[in-house]
Amino acid sequence: MNSFSITRTGTYLTIQDFGRFHLQHLGISSSGAMDQRVLKELAQVISDHQNQFLEFAYVGPSLKVQEGAIKVSVGGFCKIFVQKKNNTQIEHQPYTSINLFEGDELTINNTISSVYGYIAIENGLGLKPCLQSHSTDTKAQIGSINRPLQIGDTFQIKKDVSSWELQSSEGLQNLNQTHFKVYPGPQISYFSDEVIKTFISQPFKITSQSDRMGLRLEGPSLFSHLSHDILSEGILPGSIQVPSNGKPIVLMRDIPCTGGYPKIAILSSEDISKIAQLLPGTFINFDLESQSI
Amino acid sequence: MYFKEINHYGDRGLIIDFGIESSKDISQEINATIIYLKNLKLPALNTIPSYNKIVLHFKNTEDKQKSIQTLEIMMKDFRPLDIKRPYKSWNIPTCYESQYALDLERVQKFHDLSIQEIINLHTKKIYYNYYIGFMPGFPYLGEISSKLITPRLSSPRVRIPARSVGIAKEHTCIYPKVSPGGWNIIAQVPFDIFSLEHSRTSLFLPGDEVEFSKVTQGEFEKIQNKNFLFDEIIKEFSQ
Repeated sequence: MNSFSITRTGTYLTIQDFGRFHLQHLGISSSGAMDQRVLKELAQVISDHQNQFLEFAYVGPSLKVQEGAIKVSVGGFCKIFVQKKNNTQIEHQPYTSINLFEGDELTINNTISSVYGYIAIENGLGLKPCLQSHSTDTKAQIGSINRPLQIGDTFQIKKDVSSWELQSSEGLQNLNQTHFKVYPGPQISYFSDEVIKTFISQPFKITSQSDRMGLRLEGPSLFSHLSHDILSEGILPGSIQVPSNGKPIVLMRDIPCTGGYPKIAILSSEDISKIAQLLPGTFINFDLESQSI
Repeated sequence: MYFKEINHYGDRGLIIDFGIESSKDISQEINATIIYLKNLKLPALNTIPSYNKIVLHFKNTEDKQKSIQTLEIMMKDFRPLDIKRPYKSWNIPTCYESQYALDLERVQKFHDLSIQEIINLHTKKIYYNYYIGFMPGFPYLGEISSKLITPRLSSPRVRIPARSVGIAKEHTCIYPKVSPGGWNIIAQVPFDIFSLEHSRTSLFLPGDEVEFSKVTQGEFEKIQNKNFLFDEIIKEFSQ
């Protein structure tokens, strides 16, 4: 048996995968990792990850091997250290495999110029899926573990590491993209041409009131000439909704399943992962693509 | 037929539009459409009904493009009346005692009705479950009596007890879990309406009908103490 414990949680440490589907009609959102590109890249390093990744925001966790040995890899932009049993400290790079033996403690420092980081563990975390996914939705209290992880949480991994050979992938470049392609939202006609012009010509700032549910933006107010209150309808991640204060919100992974605010636009799906990594204070611009059936 | 058109919703979404109104007829057509779509086996990750829309979410743009073509053809032949109702009718024991009815007094003053009149108005109707939203298993039931239409709380409550029955605007609801929220709480039900242990997950499904029956504190506690599982609740309180 191999096991490790959480010895420092960092910030908002949860279990995530690529999402929970086919249940949004029962009020259950897709959830899943905020930056899904990182999971795909980590899968190149740790192929047998069992779809059980750890996600953290800003401050990384510490993990200590209690028994046996495990193999992990860290994704994101951050400094990674391993404190060995004999008190030596070794630095590791993201997107490389890291072998950890009994007594070793892995510590991940703050994410650099980005928000989310991830850990893949060979053979997973020994968890059963909940409603066909391991993702934690803390608001709905759904998941293999239905809350953020705590110090002392211990994971048992029955299977032994297959090989100690070093594996690595190219990793992801921090592109710092700040221009985002958007498509017209279902209620784009609720906004005048002038407001739409403002939306695509002015920069918007990501505020610190941003989390797994959504990014609140600051900038010119986008007022509808019709209404900011529509009959609730299904919403998708990436939607940019505008409540009556005129301040747009980009909906992210843990969204409510239906919403009653008009949606001026929706991000290109690929860009949801990219925008998730932008720090509060970053200015972004939207480029509106036309779309017809 | 209320079906109007199919529109894009981003690069992986479609939105099927049934107009701007909301009514039981529209909702029934929507729920019949959902069953019809299921039979078409579209590769959608999620199919989300609401008052007058169905949103479809796909894994990638290719799946979406293929589905548009199928939908454009198949929606032409669709006759909602041909779809048989597989829905359930529920009769839910409900306790309106003051300890559960946090806002009953305020609602009573707002409408200048007696508490008994409000309970009568709330229990005498059969509600239609338009859809589930807001939180897992949260049913939007309508319409309530026009005499009971009450605005949401001006400042939402931080903590509404699980199983609370609320009213707001034309609808009534049950909170599956403890939650913040702005509905006026007028009663409580004696069992959970959301379960990760049962394949149904949500006790009420879109299209179901729900009736509330007033029970006394004693009856309420008796049912509560039985800790019913979903299968027992279904057997006892639905048809």
